[in-house]
Amino acid sequence: MAGFLGGLLNATVSAATVFILAGLGELISERAGVLNLGVEGMMLSGALGGFIVTVVTGSTWLGLFAGIVAGMALASIHAFLCISLKANQVISGVMLTLLGTGLTTFYGSRWVENSIDGFSQVTVPLVGQYLVDIPVIGTALFSNTPTDYIALALVPITWYFLNHSNMGLELISVGEDPEMADTMGVAVFKLRYLAVIIGGGFAGAAGAHLSLAFSQLWVPGMTAGRGWIAVALVIFAQWTPSRMLVGAYLFGMLDALQLRSQALSFSVGADTPLAGIINPTIDFLMNGQIMATYPYLATILVLSYAVIKTKSDRLAVPSALLQSYSRETD
Amino acid sequence: MPESAFLEMQNILKEFPGVVANDHVDLQVERGEIHGLLGENGAGKSTLMKILYGLYSQDEGDIYLDGRRLELDSPQDAIDAGIGMVHQHFQLIPRLSVAQNVVLGEREPATLFRSDGESRLPEAVRSNGVVQALARRFSLGLDVPTQRIDDLADQYGFDIDATAKIWELDVGQQQRVEILKALYRDADLLILDEPTAVLTPAEAERLFDSLERLTEEGLAIIFITHKLNEVQSVVDRVTILREGKNVGTATVSEVTQADLAEMMVGREVLFNVEKDGVELGEPVLQLQNIHADNDRGIESLSGIDLTVRAGEVVGIAGVSGNGQKELAEVAAGLRRLTDGSITVGGTDLTGAKPKRFVNNDVSFVPEDRLRYGCAEDLSVMHNAAMKEFTDERFGSQMGLDYRELAAYAEELVEEFDVRGVRDVTETNAGDLSGGNLQKLILARELARDPDLLVANQPTRGVDVGAIEFIRETLLEQRTDGTGIVLLSEDLDEITDLSDRILVIYEGEFVYETTPEAADRDRIGLEMTGGASTDAATAESPQPIATGQDGEP
Repeated sequence: MAGFLGGLLNATVSAATVFILAGLGELISERAGVLNLGVEGMMLSGALGGFIVTVVTGSTWLGLFAGIVAGMALASIHAFLCISLKANQVISGVMLTLLGTGLTTFYGSRWVENSIDGFSQVTVPLVGQYLVDIPVIGTALFSNTPTDYIALALVPITWYFLNHSNMGLELISVGEDPEMADTMGVAVFKLRYLAVIIGGGFAGAAGAHLSLAFSQLWVPGMTAGRGWIAVALVIFAQWTPSRMLVGAYLFGMLDALQLRSQALSFSVGADTPLAGIINPTIDFLMNGQIMATYPYLATILVLSYAVIKTKSDRLAVPSALLQSYSRETD
Repeated sequence: MPESAFLEMQNILKEFPGVVANDHVDLQVERGEIHGLLGENGAGKSTLMKILYGLYSQDEGDIYLDGRRLELDSPQDAIDAGIGMVHQHFQLIPRLSVAQNVVLGEREPATLFRSDGESRLPEAVRSNGVVQALARRFSLGLDVPTQRIDDLADQYGFDIDATAKIWELDVGQQQRVEILKALYRDADLLILDEPTAVLTPAEAERLFDSLERLTEEGLAIIFITHKLNEVQSVVDRVTILREGKNVGTATVSEVTQADLAEMMVGREVLFNVEKDGVELGEPVLQLQNIHADNDRGIESLSGIDLTVRAGEVVGIAGVSGNGQKELAEVAAGLRRLTDGSITVGGTDLTGAKPKRFVNNDVSFVPEDRLRYGCAEDLSVMHNAAMKEFTDERFGSQMGLDYRELAAYAEELVEEFDVRGVRDVTETNAGDLSGGNLQKLILARELARDPDLLVANQPTRGVDVGAIEFIRETLLEQRTDGTGIVLLSEDLDEITDLSDRILVIYEGEFVYETTPEAADRDRIGLEMTGGASTDAATAESPQPIATGQDGEP
C-alpha cells in the first residue's frame, strides 16, 4: 500500500505541473481582462513543438523552449484578434483551440512513431539520495523533473509579480478598469498583449511538460481536455496563484489515480452484508474508463461551487474580463 | 483682473460632427480661488474640461498654465503639468487599497531601490539606470507613498487610512481618495466634475470645508455644477456657459441666484410654478395596510395606507432610504407585497403582474433612469414606444410599422423638447444627457395619458431649465385629471407641486399636511424621526450625519 501511495504521489506531482503551468498562464491573461479559451490548443502546439525539436536536436531543454514559443505564437493570434481588432474573446479562444487541435493532428501524425529520452528525474546534490529514500513522500518531493520544480517556483513568482510589482499592479488595473488605467498613464494595450502572450508561453510549457516529461511521447489530442480543466481551475482558484496550486494538486491527483487504478483493487469480504452490491459498485467506480471521467466530473462540481458562491460572496473575477477597450469611446 | 491669470484658456473651439461644443470659450482661473463652471446639461462644460485634461484636443485656441503654454495630448500630459481631475464616476479600483490606487502609474520602486530613502544598497547600484528601470517595473514599494498619503491626508484633514481597500470606504471617502490622487501628483489645479451629485448634504458640507483648505494652500479649483445653491455657498467666481458659449464671468457675492439662472438658461426662470385649482375626482390609487421588503429582505414598508384621487398630487417627503423606493415600486406593481392590498381605479390589483398595472393606465418614472427608466442601448424610438408598440396604429401582430413608430417618437421628442436627438432611430437613449433622458421617459409615460403617475425623484440631477419643464408638465397632467404620487427629497419641489404632503419615516407615514399649512421645520423634524435623530439613519448603509445639523 505504501508503495502504491508513494507512486501515486509521485505521479500526482508530475500531473499537477500541467495544471499549474496552464492555470497560471490563464490566470495572468485573465487578470489583465482577456479570457483565453485556447489553452487546449496552445498546450497541444507546445506539446508537439517541444516533441519535434527534442527529436530533431536531441535536446530536451531546446524542446521545452520550442514548446513555449509555440504557445506564445498561438497566443499572439488571440491577442491580435481580441485586443487590436476587439473580437469576441470567447469565439477567438474556441477558434484557437480548434486551430491548435487541427494543426497538431495534421502535422503531428508522422511523429507518433518517434521516441525520446525526455526530462529525467533530478535530485538535490549530495543529500539528494537520502531525501529520496524517505518513505512514501521521498520520491514525490525530491525526485522530479526540472519542469516540476520550475512550475512550483512559478507560483510564488507569479504571486509576487501580481501583488508586489508595479507591472503587476498595472496589469491588474488593466483587467479591472482599462479606461481608468489609461487615464493614469498605464499602457493598456501593451500590458494586455504581454499578459496574453506570457499566458500562451505558460500553456506551451504545460504542453511541452506533457510530451517531454509526463508521457515522454506524442499522441495527437494527448492533452485530453486538460486545457479546459485549467480554465475552470482559474475560477476555482478565485484568480489567486496560491489557490491555483491547491486546485492543480487536487486535479493532478485525480489524473494520477486514474492512470494507476489498474494496480489497485479493493473488495469487501463475501460474507459482509450487502457484499453483493458493494463489490460491483467498487468495481464500477474503479473501472479505468469510469475513472477517466473523474477530472471532468470534478470540473463540473468546481464550476457549480463557483457559481453558487458568486451569489453569496464577492467573487474575485476581474471586473473588465471579456471587455475590449478602445480609447475613442467615452 | 491681473494681467495674466494662473490658468488661461483662450478662444477654445471644439466641434463635433453637427455640433459646436465649445464656441470660442475663454476661461480664467486664479490661484487660491474656487471657480465655478455653471451651465445646463450639454452647455459644453464637460467638453471644455476634457480639453483641459487632455482627453480631447481643441480645434482652435490655447491653454496657458502659470504663463506656460500647454500642449495636452493625453491625461498624462495634464497630470505632468499639474492638473488633477476628480470625475463624477470615480476612477478607482474597488479591489485595491487606497495606496495602490494612488500610486498606480507612478511606478514607485521598493524602498530598497529608492534614491531618496534609507537603503542598504550602495548609492552606485541604486542610481544605476538598469537597476532603476528593473526596480520600477518589478518591484513596488508602498511604505514611502503610504507615509506621503498619510501626511497629505493630515494636512488637509482627510480621514483616510491608506491601507484600506476602496470598497470598504463610503462615497465621501472615495471622493477624498480621488482628491488625494491628484494632490499626490502635485496638482496645482483641481477640476471637480459635479462633485456633490453622489454626496449626502452632510458629506457635501465636508467636501466644501476641504476645498476651502485646499485653496488656502494656493490651489486653484474648478468646480463644475448646475446647482445654484452650491455656487452661492462655495464658489468665489463663476463662469457661465450656454450652448457652448461663454455667457460671462461673475463674482458670486455680487449676483443673485435668479441672475445666475437667467444667464444659464437664457431667459427668466420661474422658481415658483403657478398651480390652478383642480376638482378632485374618483380615487385612482388605494393602498391599504401595505407591507413590503426591500432588496435585502428587510421590511421597509410597515403598514402604509394611501389614497390618491384623480387630479391630485400627493407629495411624499422623506430622507433617502426610508421606504420611498419600495413604495414607488409597490404602486407601480413592481414589488411584491408581504401584506395589504392595492386597488387601481376600482380594480383590485393585489399580487397582479406589472403588465396589468400598465394596462390599467399606471405610469412610472423610476428613480434610477439609466438602469430602470430606459434601455440604454436601444434607440430613442424604441424607448419612446416601449409601452405603446402593441397599439393597433403601429401595425398588426405580425409586424411593426417602423415608420409610424419613428413618427410617434419624433412627435414626443418635439413636444417634450428632448434635445440631443439627431435621429430617433439612430441616437441611443443612453447617449442623452440626464435631463433630456428624463424628459424622454416622462414623454413615454405621459403620452399614454395615465390615470395614475408614480414619479420617484423626477428632477434629481437635472439642470434648472429641465426641472422647470418637468414640474410644469407634471402640473399640466394634474389638470388633465391624472392622480400623481410624487416622491422627492427636495422639500421645495414637494411644497410647490403637491396638494397634500405626507412624510415617510422608516416605512410609515408619520405626518400629513398641506402646502398652505406646511411648517418646514416640522416637516424636517418628522423626516428625521422627531427627537430620535440617530434612529433616522439606522436604515441607511453608511452612517450619514443628517442628524442634528441636517435639520433646517
